[in-house]
Amino acid sequence: MATVTIKHITKAFGDNVVLREFNEVFQEGEFITLLGPSGCGKTTMLRIIAGFEKPTAGELYIDDQLVSGGKTFVPPEKRGIGMVFQSYAVWPHMNVYENVAYPLKIKKAPKSKIKKSVDRVLEIVHLSQYAERFPNQLSGGQQQRVALARALVAAPKLLLLDEPLSNLDAKLRESMRFEIKEIQRSLGITVVYVTHDQTEAMAMSDRIFLINRGVVQQCGTPQEIYNQPANQFVADFLGKVDFFKGEAGDGSIVFPAMGGQTIPYDGPRRGRVDVAIRPENIIFAENGPLHGVLEAQYYLGDVDDCRVRVGDTLVRVIANGFVYKHLTDGQKVSLDVRDIMVFEDDGELEKMLTIQT
Amino acid sequence: MEKTVALQKGIQQRDRTPVVTKIGLAVIFLMGIAIIVVGAMATREYDASGFSSEGAYSAIYSLQGHVSSFWKDRLSPQLNALDDGARAQVNAAANGLLASAWESQKAGGASDAQALLDSAGDAGQTALSYKLLYATYLMNGPKVGAGIKKEIAAIPADRLSAFRQEVLRCAADETAAVPQEAQKALDGLSGEERQAMALQLWFLSNDSAAATDQVNTLKKSVRDKEVQLSAFRMIASGELGFLWQLVLGGSRTTVLVGIALAFDAVLLALLMMADKTWILDFKWILILLIVDFLLIFQMLPVIYMVVKVFFPEGSFSLETISRLYSYSLNIEALKNTLIAAFATMILGTLLAFPLAWLVGRTNLYGKKFFRSLFVLTYMVPPYVGAMAWLRLMNPNVGTINQWIRALFALSDAPGPLNVYTLPGMIWVLTTFYYPYAFITISRAMEKMDPSLEEASRISGASPLRTVFTVTLPMMTPSLIAGALLVFVSAASCYGIPSIIGTPGNVSTVTTRIVEYVALGQKGLNDATSMSVFLMVVALVILFLSDVVLAKKQYITVSGKSVRPAIVDLRSWRIPLTIIVSLFAVIVVLIPFATILTTSFKVDVGKSMTAAGNFTLANWTTVFNRPETIGCLKNSLFFASVAATAGLLIACVMSYLLQRTRIRGRGIPNFMITLGSGTPSVVIALGLIMTMRGNFGINIYNTAYIMIIAYMIKYLMMGMRTVVSAMSQIHVSLEECSQVSGASWLRTMFRITGPLIFPSIAAGWFLIFIPCFYELSMTTLLYSSTTKTIGFQLYEYWTFTSQPMSCAMAFGILLIVVFLNFLLNRLTKGEFSI
Repeated sequence: MATVTIKHITKAFGDNVVLREFNEVFQEGEFITLLGPSGCGKTTMLRIIAGFEKPTAGELYIDDQLVSGGKTFVPPEKRGIGMVFQSYAVWPHMNVYENVAYPLKIKKAPKSKIKKSVDRVLEIVHLSQYAERFPNQLSGGQQQRVALARALVAAPKLLLLDEPLSNLDAKLRESMRFEIKEIQRSLGITVVYVTHDQTEAMAMSDRIFLINRGVVQQCGTPQEIYNQPANQFVADFLGKVDFFKGEAGDGSIVFPAMGGQTIPYDGPRRGRVDVAIRPENIIFAENGPLHGVLEAQYYLGDVDDCRVRVGDTLVRVIANGFVYKHLTDGQKVSLDVRDIMVFEDDGELEKMLTIQT
Repeated sequence: MEKTVALQKGIQQRDRTPVVTKIGLAVIFLMGIAIIVVGAMATREYDASGFSSEGAYSAIYSLQGHVSSFWKDRLSPQLNALDDGARAQVNAAANGLLASAWESQKAGGASDAQALLDSAGDAGQTALSYKLLYATYLMNGPKVGAGIKKEIAAIPADRLSAFRQEVLRCAADETAAVPQEAQKALDGLSGEERQAMALQLWFLSNDSAAATDQVNTLKKSVRDKEVQLSAFRMIASGELGFLWQLVLGGSRTTVLVGIALAFDAVLLALLMMADKTWILDFKWILILLIVDFLLIFQMLPVIYMVVKVFFPEGSFSLETISRLYSYSLNIEALKNTLIAAFATMILGTLLAFPLAWLVGRTNLYGKKFFRSLFVLTYMVPPYVGAMAWLRLMNPNVGTINQWIRALFALSDAPGPLNVYTLPGMIWVLTTFYYPYAFITISRAMEKMDPSLEEASRISGASPLRTVFTVTLPMMTPSLIAGALLVFVSAASCYGIPSIIGTPGNVSTVTTRIVEYVALGQKGLNDATSMSVFLMVVALVILFLSDVVLAKKQYITVSGKSVRPAIVDLRSWRIPLTIIVSLFAVIVVLIPFATILTTSFKVDVGKSMTAAGNFTLANWTTVFNRPETIGCLKNSLFFASVAATAGLLIACVMSYLLQRTRIRGRGIPNFMITLGSGTPSVVIALGLIMTMRGNFGINIYNTAYIMIIAYMIKYLMMGMRTVVSAMSQIHVSLEECSQVSGASWLRTMFRITGPLIFPSIAAGWFLIFIPCFYELSMTTLLYSSTTKTIGFQLYEYWTFTSQPMSCAMAFGILLIVVFLNFLLNRLTKGEFSI
């Protein structure tokens, strides 16, 4: 429905730069997720799009209209956006109907039209029978849906969601996730979604922007950023990952901390590297390239979490229980590695992984 | 196995305790009843002896203090100035007079007097004989003609000392030269008569006539000669300390103790019954102690006043009420109070809400500064503001009036503004009480989730529309609460109406109450019924505001603390900033500047910079007077004691409220809340009526009564601060310390104490500061030795000099600002008022 064009947007509070050179176009009908640890600047970006913050530099267009930048600033009420807040922000002095009808009332829509639109949108969020209730009579999930209905009622070109599920319990969160996605799909609306929950991001997004310290680390489909992380931070933030220092050569990588054991490697990097391996990608094998001693195993139900000492390094292995249940602590094992991610070791790994809040 | 045994033992012990506890409680209860009976019997005996009328103890007590200070300050130096022979002569004359005066009251009285004097020993005899002689004359009343009294009163201050010396000499020596002022009185008298007259003149010329009130009470209560002599004995026995009074009023005190004991036993039994555990919890003792204190010093006076209104002479009658409210001046006062309070509430809230919004939600220039400035007004004594506005809007010489007249070239006729009117009073009340609403609303606004407003903006509503559709409705409960607080504070205010209303004949309920009290015993009844009216209004309104807040307080899920979207005022930014600045200048800067400049003026009507009109004398005079320093010391001392004792209770209460689920902890909490809601004047009047010995406690005219009054009124301020601080410290922090092996006490000192220290300091200052400059209660409770700086200022303003009182007022302001600074430092910027 709407495109959002972000040109070189930078935001600073005093000396504290929270967003640096954000530059991107969100396409019509796309479900965009801004993902990152808390304090990374993702909410700031969302609030800039909404018009609650003015960027320090850069320009922002919604469709082709300049809304922030230079001397131009369109206030939030003139941007025609729908937004759901983390705290729902459902007005406690109005009932569900009045809450949802509010945006249309402001637009001075005729009463009959308001009624029709509100009824329709309450239908969508499954709240039709609660129209007369006041927010304090609703559960968290219901309030959240009121907020969603209110954001949708005026048929906005763009819907912003600021961690809308973080105050819900785990079960509800999961079902709401699919409801929101479903609504977005059926209305074909452009959505910008802010979250720190990677599962949420993976499940819903067309594209994910992973942000850290005000800088976009990587942007891409969920598959891309999970499987081909641009840097160590991205690899570390999504899923579980362990880093090992190694020396890449022709055909293999040597791990000095594993007593010089090697694994095969046919990639382009040479010299000192950081090798990131997801623990579920390390498997017990009859005759793998790495050899070590099984030190501990923890039963987790669907999988087992094991620690294998390879040289001086403790390697984490997540294995299906039935594969190795005949193994005992202290037994010699060998490991195979299914998939590795190799990054250049610039000595900045520690710093990069620290999450700044 | 061993464990099981121990457990069984424990269970057995638990089983036995209820019986022990029940018996114990019953014993305490019966003891209480027994004490009541004994006390009541003693009281009856005492009443039969005649020495019982209300106020007798307090009269003797004040007289005693009075006589002592008279001896120490006045007579002793003058006697010392005489030569040995003359002194002996005066002394002999005094003793002779004493003997004959006592003999006239009772056969053998002279030997009684001699016995008392002998018991004092050589050293104290002179002092004692003069003390008793003085008391004799005070009690019997000087029999000097009115003409002579007038003549003596007219003696100029610089002549007085010499006059006294001369008269004293006349008493001792018939041949001494008679001072001109005493000629008429001593003419034709000789011998004992002449001595008596001379001594009386000496006594009369003393400014001690101020004690007439106490003396009159004493006279009334000691008509019986036997009783009179016992009063002399009490005075002769020296210091009638606090304990002594308890002993003196013993029988009634006993009854009171008995009642308290029985009440405690019953309350404790009820609590235990409700709890179904018959194990004595130490915390209950704490609760009972606080409850007893409040019961005696807060509830008893209030209940007594209500009873007194409906049962003025012991039987039910509405006469007091009908008499009071059929009097047109009183109706006028009631009307004025309600109109003034209502108008102040409306005006104050209308000012406070936009200010709170501008400061809290927009990009107004200097909003932080304005915020502190508006809050600062909260800690300025209201009467200081009244003084300033009186200087500014006096119809004749008011600065603003002079400006307006010059600006519009008006004639020199008075006006156009006149502060001595109801609207004038409303204006001053508004400038002093709008901060109450401002603070209440600002706090609520800070707590409100800003997303609620942002949701409205993103829904298409403009900032202004958002204010009316979201902010204002959300703020309604706090708005109402703030408004009602302004109403109650304005209605119970004494400082402003007394300074502005009295000269303009605009009386309010509070000023009428104080006037009635000044009338003495008869006025007390009328003052009581007005107080009850004021109290009922205040408590009903506070109750309503509590209900509103409790029922309508919106609880919203708050997200992470997002900085609220600041409303861009755009082209309005500068004009609005100018308007707010103007408001600040008018309400804060000009009044304070007026106080400061007036304090440097010789002639208040002229400008400070006019030739010869600038002086530092006001400052040096005021702050060099020992009287001022004494009052300042009193104020600091009373406020420190009240704050320290109050904070102790506050801490105990906070602990009970926040850290225990002990049954009955709500009782003292409720009483403390009630006390803070009771208008100051009412608290003071209640204490006057019940703490003069008639209920076994006599602290009338002492420092105790003032400190207790301060505590009752301001305890709540400290308690709320500590409670909220404690509620923010998670119990697990304490539990962790205890798990780490620290005892409860150690945990309190090492963990909880340091964590809530800033709040404890803040709580202390919150009690201290209003006590320090208190006026309403002090006006009713002060005595010559317990004057405070606030009252001293009031006296200076009314009777002495406005520039000097302005110097004093600015001094008080500086002290308060300094204390605030100290608090800020002490709590590392976390708190200031």
